[in-house]
Amino acid sequence: MAGFFKQAIRNFVLGPTTDPYPFGETFLPETYRGILTYDSDLCIGCSTCEHVCPTNAIKVEEKEDGSGISFAFWMNTCTFCGNCVFFCPTKAITQAPNFHTARPQDEKYELTANGEVNLVKCAECDKMIPPFNEILLERAYGEVTDEIRMKAALCPDCRRRLHFERLYL
Amino acid sequence: MLLSKYATKSPWLFRINTGSCNGCDVELATTALIPRFDVERLGCKYTGSPKHADIVLITGPVTARSENYLKRMLVEIPEPRVIVAIGICAISGGVFKDSYSIRGPVDKYVDVDVNVSGCPVRPQSILDGVAKAIEIWKEKIEQFHEG
Repeated sequence: MAGFFKQAIRNFVLGPTTDPYPFGETFLPETYRGILTYDSDLCIGCSTCEHVCPTNAIKVEEKEDGSGISFAFWMNTCTFCGNCVFFCPTKAITQAPNFHTARPQDEKYELTANGEVNLVKCAECDKMIPPFNEILLERAYGEVTDEIRMKAALCPDCRRRLHFERLYL
Repeated sequence: MLLSKYATKSPWLFRINTGSCNGCDVELATTALIPRFDVERLGCKYTGSPKHADIVLITGPVTARSENYLKRMLVEIPEPRVIVAIGICAISGGVFKDSYSIRGPVDKYVDVDVNVSGCPVRPQSILDGVAKAIEIWKEKIEQFHEG
């Protein structure tokens, strides 16, 4: 009986529990995993996200003229599992606290996040390579020197030739 | 028409499960219906019969086993009706896409009006989707009575 009165008084003080959502504000957990956002400035085009995605929601394509790599995230087949966010080495993918996913049918293919990574020319030859990223270099070497930056701007072939010449010629 | 004026205020919801994992059905049947979220504030009411349905909520990727049942069910639902695809399975196949036993997605079989994605769908998103569906249903019932 005491429990009943406790509950009754509590309900009387706290008021209705109904969330006012369609007509008012709602709540979101702090770690809510919502729709994806993609930052092409941080991306290095490694396509790890495409590899780990369980639903093939991520499409990575090289552009026809070879000047870049295009990324497309289709939210209507994404489970919001967060694998791509977890495995992204530069944290270019994040999940916004946004649950507004109801769309009419004619916008079915418009709920996407898109972006392009522009390839840059190798410092020595004409080969196109993905741009290097300071965050990754710091993680790999700790302190980033100018020599490392110079080598990171080379394509793998040129870098191999550089090392060979330094060792054997 | 007086009847159509009042009918638009209380659409009846009907659920079809086409072989979903039950996650979206739990969100529809219990989470969106409990006093916390309360989909009935929008004037809706769940019905058990497809013949009374106005807004149809379809979950699941349409498995080979449920395909025939879905087709027979859709014949029984009268026009005008609004079809809402709930969850990524109904919209695109989701994680089960391209599997050998999947015949979906739902828009192969019927003209879907609203897509609500999520895995499972957040109750607030369901409320969003139902609110959109009610708007579409009002337009549809006006057209139905005019023409």
